[in-house]
Amino acid sequence: MSARGFGADQPARIMVVSCPELRGAERGRETARRHERVIAVVTGFCPNVEVVEPGVCAFGARGPARYFGGEAALAARIVAAVAGLGEQARVGVADGLFAALLAAGSAPAAGSAPAVGSAPAVSGREPVRVIPPGGTAGFLAAQPVSALAGQDLAGPDLTVLLTRLGLGTLGDFAALPSTDVASRFGDAGERAHRLARGLDSRPLATRPTPADLSVVREFDPPEPRAEPVVFAAKALAGRLHAGLAARGLTCVRVQVLATWADGRESSRLWRHDGLLSAAAVADRVRWQLDGWRPGATNDADDDQHAEGGVAALRLAPDQVARATGEQLALWGETVVSDRVARAAMRVQAMLGHEAVLRPVPSGGRSVHDQMTPVPFGEKREPRLAADRPWPGRVMGAAPGVVYQAAREADVTDDAGQAVTVSGRCAVSAAPARLAVRGEPPRRVTGWAGPWPLSERWWDPAAARRRARFQLATDDGRAWLAVVQDGRWLVEAGYW
Amino acid sequence: MSLGVPVSPGVPVPPGLPVLPALRELLPRGGLARGSVLAVAEFGLLCLALLAGASADGAWCGIAGIPEAGVLAAAGLGLDTGRTLLVPEPGPAWPQVAASLLDGCELVLLRPPTRAPAQVRQRLEATLRRGRGVLLVAGDWPGAQVRLRVVTQRWTGLGDGHGRLRACCAEVAADGRREAAMTRTRWLWLPAEDGGVAVADPADIPFDLPAGSQPAPLRARAAVPALRAAGG
Repeated sequence: MSARGFGADQPARIMVVSCPELRGAERGRETARRHERVIAVVTGFCPNVEVVEPGVCAFGARGPARYFGGEAALAARIVAAVAGLGEQARVGVADGLFAALLAAGSAPAAGSAPAVGSAPAVSGREPVRVIPPGGTAGFLAAQPVSALAGQDLAGPDLTVLLTRLGLGTLGDFAALPSTDVASRFGDAGERAHRLARGLDSRPLATRPTPADLSVVREFDPPEPRAEPVVFAAKALAGRLHAGLAARGLTCVRVQVLATWADGRESSRLWRHDGLLSAAAVADRVRWQLDGWRPGATNDADDDQHAEGGVAALRLAPDQVARATGEQLALWGETVVSDRVARAAMRVQAMLGHEAVLRPVPSGGRSVHDQMTPVPFGEKREPRLAADRPWPGRVMGAAPGVVYQAAREADVTDDAGQAVTVSGRCAVSAAPARLAVRGEPPRRVTGWAGPWPLSERWWDPAAARRRARFQLATDDGRAWLAVVQDGRWLVEAGYW
Repeated sequence: MSLGVPVSPGVPVPPGLPVLPALRELLPRGGLARGSVLAVAEFGLLCLALLAGASADGAWCGIAGIPEAGVLAAAGLGLDTGRTLLVPEPGPAWPQVAASLLDGCELVLLRPPTRAPAQVRQRLEATLRRGRGVLLVAGDWPGAQVRLRVVTQRWTGLGDGHGRLRACCAEVAADGRREAAMTRTRWLWLPAEDGGVAVADPADIPFDLPAGSQPAPLRARAAVPALRAAGG
């Protein structure tokens, strides 16, 4: 990568702020929120911040360091400011992002979290590691090759391979001629080699300062009745949508934040997906206020609400994304009438987003796969395409009852022996009785099968070998049963 | 004919939600009266067939409390899956869920997860009368205007180790209150071989009552050799 900054031959100075507690793949909403606050603090020092991964962000340090009186002073200020949030940060500065990440990782852990609000001071105990300009190559050379793991390269294989080849440190690796590395290890190896030599593979993708797209309406005096607030919400939603549309954006969710005169707040996120009209947003505001109104709740706070009323109502878009054609198509085709959408959303408000589903025809060989339920309001393609032939699926009439999980059953022949199917798909005897677990046994009056079905043999985790039967029983019903791993399961019922 | 209104394909569709032509004779006025409750003894193809007619006519349908509903079979009978909402697990708030669904959907198929107390039933019926919807209950509902049940049924097409399920002949009985009080029974193909619902011709009914011991898989012969070969 070419150099960044003023001097063409000066490599970029990158500062990395890492919060070890907030790292890791499984991050809940709470962790995300804490990290978001850390980023907001860091953004106060430098507006162009890239979030490298959960818990880690980076920015170009040259300008801010000059302003704040040096890299160490800047790092100390950031550590103190982040500590003010109750988080522990480690800071690394080096030429290039990769070296800075390693420097942050090797920074000494803070002995104890600095006191909240303590004055920034540069001391030896700060969790800061500054690799001086020009010293990056030496710093990297001493690092073990395992530092390359987690750099989104060829995975751990490359580092294991390098270790086996006797290349213990990045310095050993960097000493190899790059053409040889490219021919031996391919593209991923070449990128790793560039990293080891202190050449970053890409410039920072800094995060632009987000424009505040939220809209607020204040009520002075506070409004005790719900109706005017809901009415104002409609106008607010219109402004919110106009602001988003002017930037070509849409939001996944909208946050409704009502502030009461006594300072309390009611905040709730509603799924939006660019699909809610202003009236629909107003409906959600009404439902949310209803939960706080006298009569809806039973505690003594109600009187205060009635006195105080709503002082401010804020609508904020959450998870803003670029509006795509698909969303516009959904706006255009009014497949779902407002009446139906309102009913479905009300049930979703009661039971959760995943509780209201729309069936989408899909492919697959088992009856269970042939209808994919999709949460209402989402547009999701079924995993198995419906317009493929799917040889081996059950032909003919579809079962009226499709069990969510196949039910265990026993199928026996005239002599009371369990009916088995051999590996060559030969049935041991004609099925005579079907006993679905939890129900009295039934006499089998007709049967057909076995129809062998071997699916996904190339994927050991998903591979299934089954033999299917259709059984008719003396009560007039019919069943779709399978033998899998020697067990009988009933997948569906025909009645 | 036990019903006052003769039904033929030519007559205009009666008020209320339409049903598949084969089911008209079972219902008073040949359709699902708006604001009424129909109870089907047990969930099955009959419930789905009752949804299909109205759905094909443009009505939205909700299915609540029946996670095992075979939507594919319903689609085969004529249900439009694009106008169907599923609430598989309404939980203890099922009366509110049903009322909300009835606000949006003309036809709601509900299987209450718990036995409905009279008070809950009456409140839901009042909601129903205010709107224009129809509640179809899979299970018992004492106030239902019409009650339907499958008396007996038999599948054709299965032999002894060969064939495949092709059609089901079912005797469906309907009774109820007031104008629906007289019991009507009809033999239906549910489903017929073409996947739809048809009135069964007495000559085709595959059992001689009382249920004989030999099934009559008259139509299943052709498929036998190929299946045997596949079975090895």
